[in-house]
Amino acid sequence: MRRTLHALLGLSVALSATAGAAVQAAAPSNPTRSALDQTLPPTDEAQRVQFTIGRILFNHVWTPGGPDPEAGTGVGRAQAGGRALVQNGFAGEGGFHGLGPTYNRLSCAACHIKNGRGEPPQGPDDALRAMLVRLSVPGEDARGRPKPHPAYGDQINDQSVPGVPAEARVFFTWHERVERLADGTEVPLRAPEIRITDPAFGPLGSDVMTSPRMGPPVFGLGLLEAVPERVILALAETQAREGVVSGQPNRVWDREAGVEALGRFGLKANQPTVRQQIAGAFVGDLGITTRLYPEPNCPEAQDACAAYAAKDEGPQPELSEAMLDTIHLYTLALQPPPRRNAGDPAVRRGEAVFAEAGCARCHAPSLETAEHPRLPGLGGETIHPYSDLLLHDLGDGLADGRPDHRAGGRQWRTTPLWGLGLVPLIADHPAYLHDGRARNPLEAVLWHGGEAQGSADAVRALPTADRAALLSFLASL
Amino acid sequence: MRLRALVVLAMGILPGALHAEPLESSLLVLTSYPDELVARFEAAFERANPGTDLRVLWKTGREAMPILRGADQGGVDVYWTPALRNFPLLRDEGRLRPLDIASPEFDREALPGRIGAQTLSDPSGRFEAFEVAGYGIVVNPAYLADRGLPTPRRWADLADPALAGHVAFPVPSRVGFAPVLVDIILQAEGWTAGWTLLQRIAAGAELADRGPGVGDSVASGRRGAGPTIDFQALNAQADGKPVEILYPERTAWLPAHIGVTAAAPHPKAAAAFVAFALSEEGQRILFHPDIRRHPVRPAVYRDAPAGTGNPFAAAGAFAYETERGSRREPAVAALFDALITRRQDELRELLALLDKARRAAARTGDPALAAQAEEALALATAVPVTEEEAAGLAVTPALDQHWAERIGKARAAAADTARAVLAAAKEP
Repeated sequence: MRRTLHALLGLSVALSATAGAAVQAAAPSNPTRSALDQTLPPTDEAQRVQFTIGRILFNHVWTPGGPDPEAGTGVGRAQAGGRALVQNGFAGEGGFHGLGPTYNRLSCAACHIKNGRGEPPQGPDDALRAMLVRLSVPGEDARGRPKPHPAYGDQINDQSVPGVPAEARVFFTWHERVERLADGTEVPLRAPEIRITDPAFGPLGSDVMTSPRMGPPVFGLGLLEAVPERVILALAETQAREGVVSGQPNRVWDREAGVEALGRFGLKANQPTVRQQIAGAFVGDLGITTRLYPEPNCPEAQDACAAYAAKDEGPQPELSEAMLDTIHLYTLALQPPPRRNAGDPAVRRGEAVFAEAGCARCHAPSLETAEHPRLPGLGGETIHPYSDLLLHDLGDGLADGRPDHRAGGRQWRTTPLWGLGLVPLIADHPAYLHDGRARNPLEAVLWHGGEAQGSADAVRALPTADRAALLSFLASL
Repeated sequence: MRLRALVVLAMGILPGALHAEPLESSLLVLTSYPDELVARFEAAFERANPGTDLRVLWKTGREAMPILRGADQGGVDVYWTPALRNFPLLRDEGRLRPLDIASPEFDREALPGRIGAQTLSDPSGRFEAFEVAGYGIVVNPAYLADRGLPTPRRWADLADPALAGHVAFPVPSRVGFAPVLVDIILQAEGWTAGWTLLQRIAAGAELADRGPGVGDSVASGRRGAGPTIDFQALNAQADGKPVEILYPERTAWLPAHIGVTAAAPHPKAAAAFVAFALSEEGQRILFHPDIRRHPVRPAVYRDAPAGTGNPFAAAGAFAYETERGSRREPAVAALFDALITRRQDELRELLALLDKARRAAARTGDPALAAQAEEALALATAVPVTEEEAAGLAVTPALDQHWAERIGKARAAAADTARAVLAAAKEP
C-alpha cells in the first residue's frame, strides 16, 4: 500500500494538474457531452491525482491475463491512454489485466457511457452490449440473495477469453403497441422479449428467472450514499402514514461491514454501498476479482472457466485494494449535472404538474446529506436526485418477476431523475427504464403501474400544454 | 453493398464464396482500439452479418506480437490496430495472409491506400490502412486572443518567444503518439535543426506525460497550444471544449491498419469484417463524436461533421517516412528525455542566457562575437548521436549515461561561451 501511495503521489505535475481542468463544471446553459464527468473540486494534489487515475480506470479497456512484465520499462511506444498509470506503480499490481474468464464488456464505460446509461439492442440481430441479464432460480441463500443459476450464475456473461466458452448470447425481440392519450396523441410503446441463444452449458430450464438491466448512470452516487439512512426510512414512514404509495427499504448484506444494511444502489437497491456496487460490477461484468469478491466468477458447471482462473499467476485479487480505492473515490466524487432552464415558465409549470400528478411522492425532489466518511465534501448538502431510494411496486408492465433480497418481482427502486435531460445529448439511442424499453421520458411515464398507476393516469389525462410543460421540466433535470 | 462485395472479392479469400455460403459463426479480432470505437464496429458488423459473433481480444501493440507470433496465432482472425511497426514485421514474417489488393477488381480510386506522396497501405497487399490520424497543433483560440498571442500554424511557430510558457508538449517516452509527432518534426526540419527546434519549443513548455495531457491542458485553458495527434483534440471539440486543431503544412497523416492472420480459423468472417471496416458504412462510423478518426475512403468525407479536416484534400508534398521513423523511435524517445525531460530547467535557463548573448553580440556589430554566440547555441542544443547512428540504436543505461555526460559538458561549454560573449559585449 505504501508503494502504491508513493506511486500515486509521484505522478507528474502535468498529470496531476489535468484533474483540475476536469472539475470545472459545464456552463449550466450549455452542457457538453462531457457533462457527466465532473468531479467535486479536489482538496489537494493527492486527491486530484486520484480523481484522474480513477477516471482512467473507469474508462480504460481491461485485458485478459497477467501483467506485462515489460510494462512501464524502456522507452517503447504506449498504445493507449493510461500509460501514466502503468508507469506510476500499478503495473506490478496487474495494470489493466485480469479480464474474464467470462465477462460482458471490456470497460466500465462501455455500459456507463460517458458516465451515463447504457443502451439496449436496437434490432433483433443486435446482441446485448451496454446491458446485461440477471439470472436466478427460485430460492435465496443465507444472506437473502437470489439463488444463482447452477450452471450460469447470477448473470449471463456473453463474452469470454480465448479457450473459455462464453455462456450464451442475448437478443431482444421488441413488441410494439400504441397507446392513445386523452388529447388524442398516440404514443408508441415497446417491450422486449428476451432471447437467449447459444447456451454453452445446456438449457437454462423452465424455472429460470431473468431480469434485463441497462447500465445506470454513475454520477451522484457519493451524494446518495451521504444521505443518512434515517432520512430514507423516514420517507418510508411518511409514505406509509399517508397511504398513497408505500416505499419499502431493501435490506441487503454488507460484505465489508459483515452486517445487514439498507440497500440503496442498483435497480433493485440490492447493494448497500458504492464500493460494494463497484466491486460487484468488476467481478460480475468484467470478471475481475477484488478483496470484496475474491472468487472468480465461474459457476460449478464451467470447468474451462475454473481451469483458466486457476492458472492465473497474476496478482490476486486482480484489482488491487489501491485501485479499488481510487475508482471508488472517483465515483463518489462524480457530481450530478447542474439543471438547465430551471426558471423557464414552462419548466416551472411542469414542476408543478409533476407534483400535482403525484410523481414527487416517490421521486422525492430533495434530500439532505450528512458527512461522508470517505469524501467530506459530500456532506451538508441539499441535493435534488428526485428519488426516495425506496422500492415501489410498479405493476405488471415493468415487473421482472425476479425477487432480489426483499425486493419483489414487481418492485424497483425509484430511479433518480437528475441528469435525465442530458440523455439525448450523450446517448446514440436514448433509452430509459431498467431495460431501455422507453425511448423518451413520456414512454417511461406511461409504463408506470402499480403504486404509480395513478400518477401515470394523471399524465395520460393532461392537457397537451401541461404534458409539454411536464416534459420540459424533466428535460431541465 | 456493391463496393463491399467488390472488396471481399478482391481480398482473394475464397473469392465469391461470401454470399454463396454463410460466414463462420464467430471471429476473433485483436485490437488496441478503445471501446468507443470497437463497440460501434462490433454492433454494426453483427447487424450486417447476423449469425456471426464478433469477439474482441484487447491487447496493446507490445502484448499483441507474442500472441500473433505464437501457436495458431492465438486463434486470432483479424489484427486491427494503430501499430505502425507491427504490421510490416508480421508481413515480413509471413504471418498475414494476402488481401490481394493489387488485383484489378480492387478499386484504388475509392480506396487509394495513399495520401499524396505518402503510402498508407502495404504495397504487397498484406495489410490495408483503416483510418488515419493527423498530427497538428491544438489551440485554444480564446486563450491566445485574451493574451494577444499569435496563433501557431507551423511547428516553428511553437518556438516563438511570445508563446514561451503557453505551450504544452507530450513526452515521447510516456505518451503513445508522441514519438511519431517528434519524428515528424525531425523529418520536416532535418535532424539537427529539428532537435534545436524541439528543444526551443519544449524548454519552456508544460511537459505532458500521458496521452490526453496536451489536449486537456489546452482545453482547460492552462496552456494555449500544443502539438498533438488530432483525434484527441477532435474528441474534445465534440465534447464542447474550446479548442481547434491546425495542421502545419509539413505534417503527416499516419495510418492504423487491418489485416487477416495467416492462421485465421474463420477466414470468411475475417474477410467480411475487413470489408465492412473499409466499406462506406464502416468508414462513416469513424465520424462519431466519441471516435473522430479520419476515414481512408475519400468519398465519405461528404458526410463528415463540420470542421473535419480532409487529409486527401490537404496533403502537401512532404512525405513522412514511417519505417525510417520506426527504426529510430527508441533512440528518439530516449534522446528527448536526455536532452529535455530530465534537464528542462537547465535547458530553459541556458537558452535564455544564449538568447541574451546573441542579442548582445548583435548589438556590438562584431561578426566574430555573433558567430561565437551562434556556436554556443549549436553547442547547447547539440545531439549526442547522428541521424545515421540513431537508426536501429538500442539505448542501454550505459549509453544513456554517456549521453548525459556529453550533453552536460556541451551545455557547460555553451554557457561559458555565452558568458564570454556577454563579457566581451560589456553586458552583465
